[in-house]
Amino acid sequence: MAHLMLSAAVLPMLAIPAVAQTATGQAPGLAQMVEAGELPPVVERVSDEPEVVEPLNAVGDYGGDLRIYLRGSSDHNHILRVVGPQGLVRWDPDYTEIVPNVAESFEVTEGGRVFTFHLRDGMKWSDGEPFTADDIMFNIEDLVMNEDFAPTPPRYMSGGEPMKVEKVDDYTVRFTFKEPYGDFLAELASPLGQHPVLYAKHYCSQFLPSYNDSLDKLIEANDASDWQNLFLQKCGDLEIPARWGNPERPTLDPWVIKEPYVGGTTRVVLERNPYFWQIDTEGKQLPYIDQVVAPVDQDVESLILSVIGGNVDFGLRHIDPPSNRPVLAENREKGDYRFFEAKSTGGTDMSISLNLTHKDPDLRELFNEEDFRVALSLGMDRQEIIDTVMLGEGEPWQQGPFEDHPYYHEQIATQYLEHDPERANELLDGLGLERGEDGIRRMDNGEPVTFQVDVIPTFDPTWVDSLQLIEQQWAELGVDMEINPMERTFFYERTSNSNDHDAAVWRATQSWVPGQIPQMLVPVHHDSRYGIAWRDWYLSGGAEGEEPPETIKTRLELYEKARGLTDPQERIETFHKIADIAAEEFEVIGVSTAVPTYGIVKNDLKNVPDSMPSSWYYPTPSPTLPQTWFWQDE
Amino acid sequence: MLLFYIGRRVLWAIPFMFAVSLIAFALISAPPGDYLTTFAATLAQSGDVVDEARLDALRERYGFDQPFIVQYLRWIGGVLQGDFGISFEWQQPVGQLIWERMALSVTLALATLMFTWAVALPIGIYSAVRKYSIGDYFFTTIGFIGLATPNFLFALVLMYVAVVHFGSDVSGLFSSEYQDAPWSLAKVGDLLSHIWIPVIILGTSATASLVRIMRANLLDELYRPYVTTARAKGLSEFRLIMKYPVRIAINPFISTIGWAFPQLISGAVITAFVLSLPTSGPLMLQALLAQDMYLAGAFILLLCCLSIVGMLVSDILLAVIDPRIRFR
Repeated sequence: MAHLMLSAAVLPMLAIPAVAQTATGQAPGLAQMVEAGELPPVVERVSDEPEVVEPLNAVGDYGGDLRIYLRGSSDHNHILRVVGPQGLVRWDPDYTEIVPNVAESFEVTEGGRVFTFHLRDGMKWSDGEPFTADDIMFNIEDLVMNEDFAPTPPRYMSGGEPMKVEKVDDYTVRFTFKEPYGDFLAELASPLGQHPVLYAKHYCSQFLPSYNDSLDKLIEANDASDWQNLFLQKCGDLEIPARWGNPERPTLDPWVIKEPYVGGTTRVVLERNPYFWQIDTEGKQLPYIDQVVAPVDQDVESLILSVIGGNVDFGLRHIDPPSNRPVLAENREKGDYRFFEAKSTGGTDMSISLNLTHKDPDLRELFNEEDFRVALSLGMDRQEIIDTVMLGEGEPWQQGPFEDHPYYHEQIATQYLEHDPERANELLDGLGLERGEDGIRRMDNGEPVTFQVDVIPTFDPTWVDSLQLIEQQWAELGVDMEINPMERTFFYERTSNSNDHDAAVWRATQSWVPGQIPQMLVPVHHDSRYGIAWRDWYLSGGAEGEEPPETIKTRLELYEKARGLTDPQERIETFHKIADIAAEEFEVIGVSTAVPTYGIVKNDLKNVPDSMPSSWYYPTPSPTLPQTWFWQDE
Repeated sequence: MLLFYIGRRVLWAIPFMFAVSLIAFALISAPPGDYLTTFAATLAQSGDVVDEARLDALRERYGFDQPFIVQYLRWIGGVLQGDFGISFEWQQPVGQLIWERMALSVTLALATLMFTWAVALPIGIYSAVRKYSIGDYFFTTIGFIGLATPNFLFALVLMYVAVVHFGSDVSGLFSSEYQDAPWSLAKVGDLLSHIWIPVIILGTSATASLVRIMRANLLDELYRPYVTTARAKGLSEFRLIMKYPVRIAINPFISTIGWAFPQLISGAVITAFVLSLPTSGPLMLQALLAQDMYLAGAFILLLCCLSIVGMLVSDILLAVIDPRIRFR
């Protein structure tokens, strides 16, 4: 399995060349339009080099709607996950290998510094205009590198310098980095890496001052506040609702917006893109399904009601907390759906990070004693938590990928898992923390060993339940832990922004593959709540925050090195070096393995796998190619 | 006299509006964090990850790093020029977002008001005139149940029963084929076939309370000497009750018109939320939850305006209907 990881980037080789095949089939509605002369023939629409996709189980039939759902506010990424981030490359369905997507093929040369992408000759935007290297140049030069629009995301930089992009010919572009950057392909495959092919130059350039002299009129006509606002209104951005708010915006997606996602709307509809560039093995143009229909429900309970009423064809998001499983299971027959598994990619659903950069010097000193953290871990009875709170699912686990994963690291996953209060007490005694009369241990300054664990109860109801058990278990060690439930925005503000927390609960479901952020190994993200001050230092290049100790600095260096590597084996080894150090330091205390969740899919909907990885970076379910899903006998 | 009174009330409304806008803005800014923190938290809850660099850039662009008073002045300055700003979440002008929802909100609010009155008035009169009859007990029981049940709970139960036992969906105001269709007679018909469900759900508790008020007020009047006198003079019972005691007892109905104005926007937010109605209530709630400051601020400002106007209108109506009330 290990050799699969990033093998495309290793050789460097051309990705599997598409079997020469021409498009022969298309949806009946489109065929009529071709006959009426409203559309060019399908052979011309799918480009000269369409991607040939082998459907999971069977070649499908055209027709039908895919009914999903949206929650009222900020749920735009649900559309993104189903339509797919159609970037230059994408993950394969197993989440192990990166394959070409919008690009027909790619080459990685000069030790991972140069990435050459070959586009599909004759490929078109959803409005029929050609998609060429000029569009990529527009995206990079006029938007990604345009500081007036937005700062250049770090994923397009290496060695402190932005990448250089050149147009080799109409259908070839070359990205050059200062340093080797093996993770670049994975960055492009993630939903956040679609920028190079997001905007159509012929449409979106009209909203840029450098292309349109009479832009002021356009801004005024649209009641926009400035050109940036107008641009976002019309062309959107990766992760904002406005991306799905303009039916006129040309895209490369399998379905395009027909009824937009705008404020207060009650339904969003996407219809097939007549120019979509994938065909099946029989030459039929994808997608099979005519429309994606998403009613907007304001609250999650009404979503559940829609599901059991049989009004949803595919659902995972929002409805998959274990508490909903009984009611979903009970109504399987009536709602005519089956379950599919959404496997976690690794790690744990619940980890506790003590704040090692605490503002209070006494607590900071205490938390930085590794023995203290080890004692807390040994003092936890994980099996009791699993049996009581997690309904017996999962097994004790610290963090990191599972045993069957190439990145699996035994020590960081399995150390200090046993429940050993005796040893834990010894460790605490060894730190000179004497018990007071109330049974609570005292620090050197005479203060009791008391700290709060911040947690968002609405994120995952099991967090608070588990903490209540942990509170009792730690009380037996003479450690007074208080649960501090709070509203989610306040949580972010207190922990990630102002570093005011003692400790915090978060999930740690990373498997460390390229593209994911290993925030529990290295403090590089606002979810690295054990070392927010160190993370500020790292991200600001030393200007803010606090200089981290050597152990963190070494890891940060190794992390940067790992991101440059193109050899998957070497990358794994480097990550294991990071994990070795992180395991020795033992900053984050995990509870149990992340358990799979279950989504629902209608019985007649075919080509949907029974199990798929669950991850934002994948992102579920788009690499399973919803454009190949179809309705049997409808 | 009347014009002077109205003029004075309008003048007073101006400083009041400023005070309200300041308090409204302060309240919206009061929770920790800002729109972007909430955005990150919402996405994280669904397992998505936000691009951190983008967040920081946006924070600067939106001016969230500015002090509160600067943000307020910037906003109110725009409002005075008729520019309510841009919704952070939707990137659309706030004015446009609100007006798009208004037509249906007003329709729903008016329909509910009419339903409430049409049901509450006759029942209230009947209950008072036929005090302690079987009919009175029946309506009193129904009324207490209506008062005691929160609208949104009633909505949830109705939705559950409809989905589980009848396989139909009672949420929304349109069938799916009409949802984004242009207005036509068929679409109006479709609206009419859907709107009665939210109207009944929204109207029950208001109806119940108005029935009780009407009954109590009318009972006070029915035994007054003037009623006895009129009866002694041989006036028909129907005309007697309608012309004198009902006219006095109806005052509370007129007063409630004032409350009905802000209800156009904020009416039954939770119920509309549960039923997924395309009215402005859910949008306002979302804006508040998401800390989408300009959108939420505009809503609250509008609510305040409507309350002031509504109160003025009901005061004037009261004076017109009841000659005993005089402007001072």
